[in-house]
Amino acid sequence: MTQAKTEEPKSFGHNEEIIVCRNVRKWYGDFEALKAVSLTVKQGEVVVILGPSGSGKSTFIRCINRLEEHQEGDIVVDGIPLTHDVRNIAEIRREVGMVFQQFNLFPHLTVLENITLAPIHVRKWAREKAEERAMHWLGRVGIPEQANKYPGQLSGGQQQRVAIARTLTMEPNILLFDEPTSALDPEMIKEVLDVMRDLAQTGYTILAVTHEMGFARTVADRIIFMDAGQIVEENTPENFFTNPENERTRLFLNQILHH
Amino acid sequence: MTTIGQNSNMRTFRGREVHFNARQFVQENITRRWWLTLWLIILVYLTGVVTWNQLAAAPVTTALLFVLWAVTLTLTAVNEMTRHHNSTTQWLRNNLYSSLTNALITLLLVLLIVAGLRGFFAWAITHASFTTDPEAAAVILEKFTPPGANWGAVIDNMRNLLVFRWPRGEDWRLWFILIWSVVLVIPSQFIFRREAFRKSLIRRVLTGLWVLTPILSFLLLRGVGGAESLIPEVNPDQAWGGFLLTLVIAIFAIVASFPLGVLLALGRRSQIRGVPGWFTYGAAGLLTAVALFTSTFPGLSSAPTTAGKVLAFWPVLIPLVAYLFQRFFKGNVVALFSTIYIETIRGVPFITVLFMSIILFPIFLPPGTEVLSTWRVMVAAALFAAAYLAENVRGGLQSLNKGQYEAADAIGLNTFQKYRFIILPQALRAVIPAIVGQFIGLFKDTTLIAIVGLVEFLGVANLITAQPDWLGVRREPYVFIAIIYFVGSAVMAGYSRRLEAQLGVGQR
Amino acid sequence: MAEITPQVSTGQESIPFWRDGRVLGVLAQIAFLAAVIIATGWILNNVLQNMDKLGAFRCADGSSSFVCGFNFLRIDAQFDIGETTIISYDPSDAFSRAILVGALNTIRVAVFGIILATILGTLAGIARLSSNWLISNIAKWYVDLMRNTPLLLQLFFLYFGVILLLPPIREAVQPFGLPIYMSQRGIDLPWPVFMSSARLWIGFVVLAIFLTWILWVVLGRREIQLGKSTNRTGWAFLTFLLVAVVGWFVATATSGNNQVVLAANTVSAADLAGLESVMQQRLGVNDLASVSQAVSDGTLTQEAVDTAAFTVCTLRDDRSEVNLTAQLRKLNMPYSVKAFNRENLVSEAFAAGDCDLYIANKETLAAAQTAVSGATLIPIGETPVRFSIPSLQGLNFTGGYKLTPNFAAILVGLVLYTGAFIAEIVRAGIQSVAKGQSEAARALGLSEGQRLRLVVLPQALRVIIPPLTSQYLNLVKNSSLAIAVGFPDLWTTSFITLNQSGQSVQVFIIVMASYLSFSLLISFLLNWYNQRISLVER
Ligand SMILES: Nc1ncnc2c1ncn2[C@@H]1O[C@H](COP(=O)(O)OP(=O)(O)OP(=O)(O)O)[C@@H](O)[C@H]1O
Ligand SMILES: [Mg+2]
Repeated sequence: MTQAKTEEPKSFGHNEEIIVCRNVRKWYGDFEALKAVSLTVKQGEVVVILGPSGSGKSTFIRCINRLEEHQEGDIVVDGIPLTHDVRNIAEIRREVGMVFQQFNLFPHLTVLENITLAPIHVRKWAREKAEERAMHWLGRVGIPEQANKYPGQLSGGQQQRVAIARTLTMEPNILLFDEPTSALDPEMIKEVLDVMRDLAQTGYTILAVTHEMGFARTVADRIIFMDAGQIVEENTPENFFTNPENERTRLFLNQILHH
Repeated sequence: MTTIGQNSNMRTFRGREVHFNARQFVQENITRRWWLTLWLIILVYLTGVVTWNQLAAAPVTTALLFVLWAVTLTLTAVNEMTRHHNSTTQWLRNNLYSSLTNALITLLLVLLIVAGLRGFFAWAITHASFTTDPEAAAVILEKFTPPGANWGAVIDNMRNLLVFRWPRGEDWRLWFILIWSVVLVIPSQFIFRREAFRKSLIRRVLTGLWVLTPILSFLLLRGVGGAESLIPEVNPDQAWGGFLLTLVIAIFAIVASFPLGVLLALGRRSQIRGVPGWFTYGAAGLLTAVALFTSTFPGLSSAPTTAGKVLAFWPVLIPLVAYLFQRFFKGNVVALFSTIYIETIRGVPFITVLFMSIILFPIFLPPGTEVLSTWRVMVAAALFAAAYLAENVRGGLQSLNKGQYEAADAIGLNTFQKYRFIILPQALRAVIPAIVGQFIGLFKDTTLIAIVGLVEFLGVANLITAQPDWLGVRREPYVFIAIIYFVGSAVMAGYSRRLEAQLGVGQR
Repeated sequence: MAEITPQVSTGQESIPFWRDGRVLGVLAQIAFLAAVIIATGWILNNVLQNMDKLGAFRCADGSSSFVCGFNFLRIDAQFDIGETTIISYDPSDAFSRAILVGALNTIRVAVFGIILATILGTLAGIARLSSNWLISNIAKWYVDLMRNTPLLLQLFFLYFGVILLLPPIREAVQPFGLPIYMSQRGIDLPWPVFMSSARLWIGFVVLAIFLTWILWVVLGRREIQLGKSTNRTGWAFLTFLLVAVVGWFVATATSGNNQVVLAANTVSAADLAGLESVMQQRLGVNDLASVSQAVSDGTLTQEAVDTAAFTVCTLRDDRSEVNLTAQLRKLNMPYSVKAFNRENLVSEAFAAGDCDLYIANKETLAAAQTAVSGATLIPIGETPVRFSIPSLQGLNFTGGYKLTPNFAAILVGLVLYTGAFIAEIVRAGIQSVAKGQSEAARALGLSEGQRLRLVVLPQALRVIIPPLTSQYLNLVKNSSLAIAVGFPDLWTTSFITLNQSGQSVQVFIIVMASYLSFSLLISFLLNWYNQRISLVER
């Protein structure tokens, strides 16, 4: 995993299993939020998770980089088992980038500082290199001119793109998106989805929770449907939308699409 | 108001329509509620009495004020009725004469305020003595009944009030610190505000100099080496006093309490995985057993009274405490002790902490250790301030969005980096105004050390009254100190407000 | 890229402990605990060594124990305490009682202080928002002045610079001609005293509250039925007043002449009217109301009035004395009161002919009557509440309620200081209720009173209560500054105890525990209240 990073993630082959979850269970007190969730994601795959509110989508992907701790079952990311081992956790967080619904930019730092903070202090890059990479990614997401502004001075769509650039500059293999467009106005959603689509085509492994059906249909390799803490259906986009296997999925799609 | 008839609805006055409805006026201002009528009667009576008394006491001023009131009121009333206000009468109408009661209250208050001010100025200036010669002062003051202020006592003791027994030859050290600070403050106003200087060298240098300031000040105040040294050492218990001591203690306390306060706040909020329940309960059980055998059973047999026998069962409290600890702190010892420290200190008066530093501190140290009173009081003030600071900082930490912690985790920062780069900068910035407020409080609370026997600002004032020259002079130094405190606090509060506004802008 | 082996073990058992998050957490806790224990252990060890040298924890049998450290509390205190609340105190009482007296004094300051500061603060807070520019600015200056100067300075100024510079007791200042006397020796106020018939009256008042409440509910229902408002407040108020007033008269009437006064043989009277005619004879006037006029005219000298005045002998702070003197005052009879500290001294004085009238309870007087020949019992009535008015007797005021200079200084100082902080809280609380809320209430057609009661107040209180709690706590803690003005509160008496007994550690433990429990009590009460009102709100 220590090979020199180039601009894009490594191979395009859909064969290496980069995220492996087996019977992951999680409780909040007495409430079981994840009930034996198993999922395997291959290198370069784009997986979209759908499901009604409260079904455990966020909880699940937050378990993958240990923002939440699962209590039973195994999670292996990029070959590293996610245990209580603090070193493993740190390594996994370096390999996994996450984009939040509320952006979570650091308001007291400029855009550039937001992006370079982790590369400098976690990856131990020289400031020049970090800034160069940061500017590169800001260019990729289309807002290089905003580098010296503060997050509070940007629009929502711009902020989310900065958040994506901040994640990408760390050169992760895997990207987790938790409803990245839910807090945005309709016209800004497109900016962000375009960036995500671009990333998917570049070959990143992406695990995304989103309610953007268009994105799911066109970009995803696979769609996971969760309900009440369980994966109810796992399907290709075509089958999922046209011919879902599960009754619950059909109901959900009816509600969403014929609203 | 002569042109206005009894119930004229639409008359004209100087070519303008007059809007006045007597019935409505009476209804609104007098008879709307029975208590309003009553209140008005009382007010008329009070105003009458006060006006009468003031006319007797100061005829010219009172008559003048009364006429002024009557004229402005009439003007306002006329302009109101003709619906033709200028900016002055508009202001008067809104702020002083908005109703009949308000107009009366205005007159009453103006008369009382003027009377009060006249009394104060007579005492403070016209009937006061400013000479530092006590005999001459006595002669001057004898002329007046009641006598005015004896400011000579304050002027004569100015040096005592400010620095008390600081050695005269060493004044340059104080001047040096003062000028040094002023020289730093002025560019700081500019450099720390501008975004352009954010990463500049000059800002770092300035920050470095600021960090150096307390150390340098301490060196100069304390001195090093014997009499032949450039800055000979002084004994703070004797040489520090007056306003100097107040400032030293307040500033030391706030600066020194900072690290401890931040740590306590972090400790109280810490989410460290706690001691597991079995461990706590096991340890509690063991302790209880030991205590039962060593204390309860012997106590039961020897205790003379029933109360003593019941008291002997105190070890049963240990499991209870263990349960509460697990329930409310989830086994987090750090949070437990931080909370206990903070709440205990905040629950007791500062003065008991100060006395503790004077009386108990020596008992806490190995026998024979001697520590100067000044140091003890300074440490006590800092330990006291830390608890309050911790609560302020905790407020700042709480004001942060949970997403900030998560984002810091997600980009791979470790705990130290997370707090160093993300959490603390934001939390502390959010509580700067609160910390300034706390400093003002501390600045005021420092007067309490007068009670434990160190001669600070207020302590000097209490000494003046015992000087043979100024026997019994009390109010004057108190007023002087009050002014200094008032101005000092107001300046700091203003600074804090400005800062708050600024930070608000930066944060968006 | 490392080889992915899906079967890779989760490695739970293979993590070295220094990398295991759970273990690290517990280790950190244990290390911290160890540090705390070592530090406290070191301090405790020092304390024990030092205390051992002083022999502080020594028991009577020579052994050492923590409990024995508190034995000193039973020793005689041997210092005097200027004033006491509820319980009495004497230098021959134990240290524990001295500390208790101090604690009760602190509670007295705290209770009065909290009530008065709340009233003052609320008024000042509302004044801050007054539409009159002068009022709001006076309130602002008051608040700023108090908040920006040290409390201790204010206390010193008040005590040394104002109260102690008041005129001596014979020239006491009477503000606005009210029976309030302010002098170097403190402030003397009129004070209501409850007679035995007050019990009945209070019963009526409770009944009045109950009836008012019922009426309020019933009228409220009727309003809903009728769909229009009746004058609920007016009716409720009237009912309350009516029942309370009726109760007053009933209590007065049923008590009949259940008090008596013993008159010496020099005073031959069968009832109050008889006393009146005795006094008329003594002064040689037909109408006692004209006496004060006659004195100022010069037809009668003050000395003549003073010699003619009835001397009333009584036990100090006796309720019946208040009842009698109130009636004497009403009938314009001059009197002077001789108060004694013990019952037998009063009867001795009466037997010796030192007094015209002797007032006490019936049984005592009946006993005294048999001892003195020619003494007659005169029945007198009572009302449930009588006002005790301070009057100058020799070098002191008797009657009324006395604020010593020390108590006055600490109380007034704390009230003024805390009131300023409360004013800011009240102002912020009222302002926090958005204007829209008031407008919405008006739009719904609520009256001004309803708007305040139902909309503004509940919301403002939610903002006000938490900071108010901390102000109350501050007031209690600040009351420890009483030591600066010589008021014997908890800290002052404890400090004297500490100095007298030398048992510093124990005294500090007691003091800290006391203040902590005061603080906990207040925050508990107000938290409870706060929770209740936020529940109501929801
Ligand atoms: N910190 C927590 N404590 C207790 N329960 C929680 C917590 N976080 C989430 N839950 C519960 O776990 C369940 C799953 O939550 P989660 O946030 O994963 O849902 P989601 O599928 O992401 O929903 P949404 O689409 O609304 O974001 C919910 O029922 C939620 O109430
Ligand atoms: Mg979610």
